This record gives sequence, structure tokens and C-alpha cells, in this order.
Amino acid sequence: MKIKSLELLVILSVLALADTCRAGLQWEQTQIELHPAPGAATAVGSFKYKNTGSNVIHFKSITTSCGCTTAARKKDDVAPGETGEITATFKVGASTGVQQKTVRVETDDAATPVTILALRAVIPQMLELRPSFVYWENSEPAKPKTIMVKAAKELRATSLKVSSSSNEFVTSVSSAGQNEFKIEVQPHDTSHPVSAVLTVQPDNGGKPVYATARVVNPTISAQ
Amino acid sequence: MPRGLVREILLLLCLALLPALGQAVYFRDRISWRQPAKQDEITVSQARNLTGPVMWLDARPEEEFAAGHIPGAKLLNAEHWDNLLPQVLNAWTPDQKLIVYCSKQSCDASHEVARRLREEANLKNVFVLAGGWEAWQESAK
Repeated sequence: MKIKSLELLVILSVLALADTCRAGLQWEQTQIELHPAPGAATAVGSFKYKNTGSNVIHFKSITTSCGCTTAARKKDDVAPGETGEITATFKVGASTGVQQKTVRVETDDAATPVTILALRAVIPQMLELRPSFVYWENSEPAKPKTIMVKAAKELRATSLKVSSSSNEFVTSVSSAGQNEFKIEVQPHDTSHPVSAVLTVQPDNGGKPVYATARVVNPTISAQ
Repeated sequence: MPRGLVREILLLLCLALLPALGQAVYFRDRISWRQPAKQDEITVSQARNLTGPVMWLDARPEEEFAAGHIPGAKLLNAEHWDNLLPQVLNAWTPDQKLIVYCSKQSCDASHEVARRLREEANLKNVFVLAGGWEAWQESAK
């Protein structure tokens, strides 16, 4: 019996050792959340790794989930014990809110040939509209509806300019406290379907944001 | 069964557990635990059985949408939100249910689009398709 248990112990030890030897490219983290400053052009994250195995690991390919994100590596081969990083750069452009991009890393590491790295960027909105959509059903009284606007303090906006793509709606703007504004939208009438894009722009020429106003026929959508 | 044998089995099992625990801790960020279904998710069969008008929204990048999408779906992704949202809102009717989908079960884009529709545009009846585009394709086979 003792011999049998000793054999089993040896087998288990060998298995555990084999498992340890399998270790290859170890990532410090595979998900990064970034909070770029308002107006920042890019959000950059570095995914650090270490080769904890006994073989050289070769990067076969590194691809990103969209054209707005690039990923760069400094070397193609990682020697045992060596560390390094992959730098992912997300071009903010016109994006706002939470943006999640991924980087697919393919190596010749047999244990883990593919690793997905996730870059989550929270892009602050300079102007936040709540709600960004107001509508009236065609039987509804043509009363004004309110859109609240919260401006980032970095924007330093003192007033807003609102323009409607359709003269079927009238808008008015008033201050609602520090960095907050109230937009009232009202259709002339609700007897027929109509829609408009409302362009909301800060007085200092900052980037505009958009809201939509509609008079909705429940069965026929506006074109 | 002799007590000694039982003791040795237990001892060996405990020994085997040690490397397993070590691996679970060491590789914790590599293990893909299946996440429980989120509350706003519906399956393809549930979506197909919905009554009333439905609008499908594709939260994937434009090139993936162009390569193939659910018939009648509209593109709405975070990258071109400002340009795409007015088109969606102009086609929306109050009695419609909105179902957002992405490319994989782990993809957060569809949940993010659904969240923004609820919170920013104040729309009701917004759902996310569990399993996304792949689940739809699978169901069509």
C-alpha cells in the first residue's frame, strides 16, 4: 500500500511540476480602465508581461478590434525571465462615454496561444443631455418638454446655443444652476409626424452635442 | 475498506488540491468563468416569440455590420453614436421593443448601447440578445 501511495505521490508531483513548467507569458493585467482628461486626443494603456516559462516566446500577431485603436510592441521575441509591455492607444476622436476596445495577442506559446487584452476608456462628456430624446405622440398636447444639460466644469460654458433642424419646433435655454442648463422644446402642433435634430453648442465654441425631438405617429415612423 | 487506505486517499486528494488551488489563484485572470445571464438579456427564441414590433440594433463596428447582420437591423455603435442615434430615433415608435446585439457573449458593446438608450434617450423595452450575432447565426442553421 505504501508503495502504491508513493507512486501516486510521485505522479502527482510530476503533474504539478509539468503544470508549472507550462507557464509562459504572464500578464500583469489583461484589462485596463482609463479615464482620459476632458479633451484628450488619446487614451493609452500599457499591458505588462513577463515570460515565466523556460522557452523563448514569439509574438505571431497583434491585432486590435477597430481602426481607432493601435497596439505596439517593442520586441518580437521574449526570452525566459524577460519582461515587456504592449502599448494600446485609443484615438478618442468624437467618441464619448465608455469605449471598450480589445487587442488580440497571438504567440507561439502552446499553453496560451491567444490572449485578449481589454482597454476600457471612459471618455468624459463635456455636455451631458438628459434625456437626449423627447417626443410627443400625435394625440398629445403640444406642451414643452425639458432637456437638462450638465456641462463639465472644464468647459467653462456660460450659456448654450440651441438650433433645430426643423422650424416645427421652438427651443429656449435657461440657466439651471452652476454648469447646468435647461432646454425647453415645444412642437408647433402634434397633428402630424415630424422630427428634428437639436444641435446644442456651448457659447465658447466647444464641441456640439445632439438631441432629437419628434412627434411620433405610433404606427408610422417619421422619414 | 481499511481506515488506513481511506486516510491515504484523503491525504492524496488534499495533496492534489494544493497545485489546483495554486493554479486557480495564479491563472485567475485567464480562467473564463461563464457569467450569469444579465437581467436585460433575452435569448434568440425569446426574441423570435416577442409580440409587437421589434427593432434590431447592431452594436458592432460598421465593417462587421456590412459583412452581415440580422435582417432589418440598424447600425448603432458607440463609435458613431452621434451620427447613428438620430436615424434610430427617427425610425422608433413607442410600441417597439429594441433588441441590441453584438458579436460575442462576452462583448460589452451591446450592453453599453442598451444602457445609453435607456439612460440617455430614456427609452423603455430595451433588451440585449444573449449570445449576440453568433447565437442568431446558429439559430438560423
